[in-house]
Amino acid sequence: AAQEFTRMRLDGVEPNHITFVTLLSGCAEFPLKGRDLGSLIHGYVCKLGLDKEDVMVGTALVEMYAKGERVEVAKLVFDLLKVKNSVSWNTMIDGYMRNREYEKAVEVFDEMPEPDVISWTALINGFAKRGFYEEALDWFREMIVCGVEPDYVSIIAVLTACANLGTLSVGLWVHRLVLKQNFRNNVRVNNSLIDMYSRCGCIEFALEVFDKMQKRTLVSWNSIIVGFAVNGFADEALKYFDAMQKEGFKPDGVSFTGALTACSHAGLVGDGLHYFDIMKRVYRISPRIEHFGCIVDLYSRAGKLKEAWKVVQNMPMKPNEVVLGSLLAACRNHGDISLAERIVKNLVALDPSSDSNYVLLSNIYAAVGKWEGASKVRRRMKALGIQKKPGFSSIEINGCVHEFVAGDKSHMEKDCIYATLKLLAFDLMSSGYAPEIVVRELYESD
Amino acid sequence: EHVQAEPVPSLIDLTRLCHEGKVKEAIELMGKGVKADANCFLSLFDLIGNPKSLEDAKKVHDYFLQSTCRGDLGLNNKVIEMYAKCASMTDARRVFDHMPDRNMDTWHLMINGYADNGLGDEGLQLFEQMRQLGLKPNEQTFLAVLSACGSAEAIEEGFLHFQSMESEYVISPGAEHYMGLIGVLGKSGHLYEAKEYIEKKLPFEPTAEVWEALRNYARIHGDVDLEDYVEDLMVDLDPSKVDANKIPTPPPKKRNAISMLDGKNRIGEFRNPTLYKDDEKLKALKAMKEGSYVPDTRYVLHDIDQEAKEQALLYHSERLAIAFGLISTPARQTLRIIKNLRVCGDCHNAIKIISRIVGRELIIRDNKRFHHFKDGLCSCGDYW
Amino acid sequence: SFSTPEEAAAERRRRKRRLRVEPPLSSAQRSQQQAQQVAPPRPIQNPNSPKLPEPVTALSGNRLNLHNKILKLIRENDLEEAALYTRHSVYSNCRPTIYTVNAVLNAQLRQSKYADLLSLHRFITLAGIAPNVITHNLIFQTYLDCKKPDTALEHYKQFINESPVSPSPTTYRILVKGLVDNGKLENAMEMKEEMAEKGLAPDPIVYSFLMFGCAKNGDSDGIFKLFEELKEKKDGILDDGVVYGSLMNGYFMKGMEKEAMECYEEACGENSKLKMSDIAYNYVLDALSKNGKFDEALRLFDSMKNEHNPPRRLAVNLGSFNVIVDGYCAEGKFKEAIDVFRSMRDYRCSPDTLSFNNLIDQLCQNGLLGEAEELCGGMGAEGVSPDEYTYVLLMDACFKVNRIDDGASYFRKMVEAGLRPNLAVYNRLVGELVNAGKVDEAKSFYDTMVKKLKMDDASYKFMMKALSDVGKLDDVLKMVDEMLDEEISDFTEELQEFVKELLSNVGREDELTKLMEEKERLKAEAKAREIEAAEAAKRSAKAAVASLLPSKLFGKKEGESENTIDAPSQGEVPEED
Repeated sequence: AAQEFTRMRLDGVEPNHITFVTLLSGCAEFPLKGRDLGSLIHGYVCKLGLDKEDVMVGTALVEMYAKGERVEVAKLVFDLLKVKNSVSWNTMIDGYMRNREYEKAVEVFDEMPEPDVISWTALINGFAKRGFYEEALDWFREMIVCGVEPDYVSIIAVLTACANLGTLSVGLWVHRLVLKQNFRNNVRVNNSLIDMYSRCGCIEFALEVFDKMQKRTLVSWNSIIVGFAVNGFADEALKYFDAMQKEGFKPDGVSFTGALTACSHAGLVGDGLHYFDIMKRVYRISPRIEHFGCIVDLYSRAGKLKEAWKVVQNMPMKPNEVVLGSLLAACRNHGDISLAERIVKNLVALDPSSDSNYVLLSNIYAAVGKWEGASKVRRRMKALGIQKKPGFSSIEINGCVHEFVAGDKSHMEKDCIYATLKLLAFDLMSSGYAPEIVVRELYESD
Repeated sequence: EHVQAEPVPSLIDLTRLCHEGKVKEAIELMGKGVKADANCFLSLFDLIGNPKSLEDAKKVHDYFLQSTCRGDLGLNNKVIEMYAKCASMTDARRVFDHMPDRNMDTWHLMINGYADNGLGDEGLQLFEQMRQLGLKPNEQTFLAVLSACGSAEAIEEGFLHFQSMESEYVISPGAEHYMGLIGVLGKSGHLYEAKEYIEKKLPFEPTAEVWEALRNYARIHGDVDLEDYVEDLMVDLDPSKVDANKIPTPPPKKRNAISMLDGKNRIGEFRNPTLYKDDEKLKALKAMKEGSYVPDTRYVLHDIDQEAKEQALLYHSERLAIAFGLISTPARQTLRIIKNLRVCGDCHNAIKIISRIVGRELIIRDNKRFHHFKDGLCSCGDYW
Repeated sequence: SFSTPEEAAAERRRRKRRLRVEPPLSSAQRSQQQAQQVAPPRPIQNPNSPKLPEPVTALSGNRLNLHNKILKLIRENDLEEAALYTRHSVYSNCRPTIYTVNAVLNAQLRQSKYADLLSLHRFITLAGIAPNVITHNLIFQTYLDCKKPDTALEHYKQFINESPVSPSPTTYRILVKGLVDNGKLENAMEMKEEMAEKGLAPDPIVYSFLMFGCAKNGDSDGIFKLFEELKEKKDGILDDGVVYGSLMNGYFMKGMEKEAMECYEEACGENSKLKMSDIAYNYVLDALSKNGKFDEALRLFDSMKNEHNPPRRLAVNLGSFNVIVDGYCAEGKFKEAIDVFRSMRDYRCSPDTLSFNNLIDQLCQNGLLGEAEELCGGMGAEGVSPDEYTYVLLMDACFKVNRIDDGASYFRKMVEAGLRPNLAVYNRLVGELVNAGKVDEAKSFYDTMVKKLKMDDASYKFMMKALSDVGKLDDVLKMVDEMLDEEISDFTEELQEFVKELLSNVGREDELTKLMEEKERLKAEAKAREIEAAEAAKRSAKAAVASLLPSKLFGKKEGESENTIDAPSQGEVPEED
């Protein structure tokens, strides 16, 4: 396109605004290549004065700069624009969100004369995509309060947020909204609902949504299979894996992840290996790291640490934390220290600053009574300046999420909470629970 | 200086709202400067009457204090009644203490208020104060006093006050006073004493109402046998009181209590419990002998050694979240908890047992997978 | 006792202050307001500090709903669920009140679920649900029912010293009666004194328990002393006739029949001013019938029945019928005994298993097995079921008249009904069967019972001997075999010797050694098999890898169709392309 443009100029054909818009969005799509050319075009456009006068060209410029990580320049162009339409505003908001300048995005949003559903969605989606789930929910709520009808993009964004926060009650509320707003037949919304429910541990609702869907896609099937698998319903997951194929869907890598997760969950070593093989041979899907992860998990679970380790060593890609972590956990369960030490060496090489592996290794030493080893690991952590990531747990009560860290005393109801725990502790003792003494001086989590 | 020319809102609107029972709206209107009259206050004081509306009570009381009718004795009594119903006897007492003059009703309302809020002792102290001031108690006073005695489980005082009623104040007790006395016994858990009092001491034939009262006390204290016995008598007197939906009481399995009171127990215990391991009584005896059960309220946490105790009390965040979830939701409701790291082995083990102890499904999502804890088991099959 | 209410009030408040129980106003007020804003009040931290039980007013709203729900469960006799739900509610936003807990405890006591009762009591103590007087009474009753009078006394001491709750007259009745029943008359007497110290009025019922205890010990002077004491305390005016039966007993014991009958006249004569309850009558009835005045007893019984007007006036109860039935039996008039027993229903009394057993016992002892069996057959219609004692009575009676098979069938019925005959009963059964030459049948009972009943050496030996006597040494070895599989510890050395001896009689003693060695070997093998199984599983996994499906069917490369779902743990919403 760039070459064509140069020829056009040489031919003396005056480029019009459509040319520029096309060009600029071309540059935007390939920020690296288009960077210099984009600036060039910008200069040319300036000469023509189109940058300030023409909304579309201006907006395209803004988009280009925003996508090219030069959001400040984008803002300059945006400010110079004499006429702005909602698209330019929305592009600017999205630009800031893209570049993690959340406050500025909100500023622009607030300045905007009449934000439309796209503007709201830009914010909500922006927050949700970047892990600011609570903010996403807040803005969604605000949007509803302002009487703006959400579109399916914002609904999906907000369901993602619910899934990640595990706020079932908000999820249920959104679901009601979905039914009211007639998104009930939107496949993508339904897929998001399935995902949300299964990630809130509410698989029966997920299944209900799935069952009621008139049209299902591969993603719908994958979502329900993975949902069953992670919730520990291995039989169901495999049943749906089979049913899906009967319905004529060809399983993809994600489907196999679901099936393999289910197998590892239920300890079905043979089945798991069988699926893994089918995946490679029959469906010609080259296994990705998460598939190897499942296989490692499968072996570890069955106590076959050597086999698991072999899989790790023969993997075509470098093992990641997840893979090694599950093997490491198996080492703890089976008290295999020498393998654990080897794995940790690997892990430290992968990510020297990660705390959890040290913690796990230390716990493994302690579990078999090698206190020296345990304290050595902790000393090393200290020396390396690695701090344990604080663990926190959250629970939602009446639509309000309460967060706790270990030994938390900040909650309003702390007296009642601790009294309850004391009673529970006693009840636990009389039920024959013996706490692992080692854990105390170690860490909350492995 | 507070002249308002605007026609809306007016006292008429306020009166209408009070009449319709719209408390919140009425308060809002008063907030806009509409002055309520005595009638409005009267109906508002009547309307506000449960512990949840204490805030409203305080607001209305504020407006009342700014109004011209703040000195009205009857209305002040109503304020006391309102606060009593809102379970705030501290506020009621403040009103009481600041009242320039009081009548008998005032005292009765206070004493009754204390009694109804489980503060019978305060009520009795107020009664003492009343007598010290030389006020002569009447029939109503004694009803309130008996109610307070019941609330304070002050049985002896109840009887003494009851006697003094006739001996000192020459008031012959009516049926309602006897009911009050039965209430003193019944509320305090002296059920058989109440039954005997009715059967032996009551100077009149007990009515269905008397038995019904005792039946209700039996129900409160969970004594099925007494409840059935009294109900028989009650229905006999007033067949309309029969409860058609009543589930028949299961026959008792007690063997040795049959003896002297109900029958003759000559055949002693037959069963030789040492031979069946799961025998109830054997279990009980074993528990007592092994010291895991000491007849003592001091055994709390004693049989846990110190270290284990500390351990148990070391609270990881998931346990805190569970505990908070438990006390915030009804029994047996599923709890969902999200944890950013992996659940540690010790907590996993503990939570499994907790799920059984508390009778709930606990769903924990950690950064790796879901754990559905139920009946002492986890969906992850202890591998995670 | 106090003369003015002020004194009583002052004492009550002093008591609570001494125990450092928080003043009621502040605590109640605070928790109530807290309750409005956030959650309900939670357990008080230190369970050792005395706490005031919650007032009746606490039983409202949700907590009242809970109470009613539990009451319903109790009526449905689902005590396990009632106790469980109560416990679960402690871990919820609706804590059970002590009233609900008491209801469950009471129901558990009624059904003899002592272990469950104690466990629940312990739990609520930990949970900081303060007990009230009813809770304490139930616990006293439990200890005494379980024949643990010392524990009850210990608990009493602690209750008096540390609890802000005061005992009720019922507390003392339970204690005194329980102590008397447990043969602790002296302690019971002390309780009577304690009761007076606590300012509770002298209670004729308590005195009647004590006098009954004296009568049991044959101490007539004790009876008279107690009577005089009671009379004195009541200023000479006794209006309750409950002690008169025991008093009569005292006179009868001393051979003072005239005085005894004077007492009778005073209590039950036409001009009697005493109030006679059903229990009071029963004491008199018992005294008469046991002391050769059965005709008089029958007369009294008739007038009692006339007076009986349930539910308003209860003059007879099950106990009255039991006394009369016993009386008839003692006179050898069994037909009349059965008739009286059967007439019970007409007076709104229902016989329980215990009274059935009583009569069946008498009939069996006197060779009236047919009548006894008929009576037993009618139990179901009365809504009661036979228990172990019933069946054992009938079984033994059958054996006595050589109806071995019928006796055995009673035993079988008993086991089938889920009842638990003890070892002695089993031994009697097997003994009879073997004596009658029915070794096989005996063995089949052994096979049934060995799984349930813990047997001792003697029982095992008996069975082995019986089998060996009829030459079934293989069965003996099989018994040993099973024991080694199930309860190794039961196969004591003594038993080993015994079996060896049995076998050596026919020169087969090696077989035992062989059997035991075989067992050892099998065990070792089992262990090896376990290891092997684990290996096999590993191999089959490998085999699964090896037996890969031929991939020609689908052939084509499919790998590229993956969409954006990552590993599930990363948790993105699945999006479509």
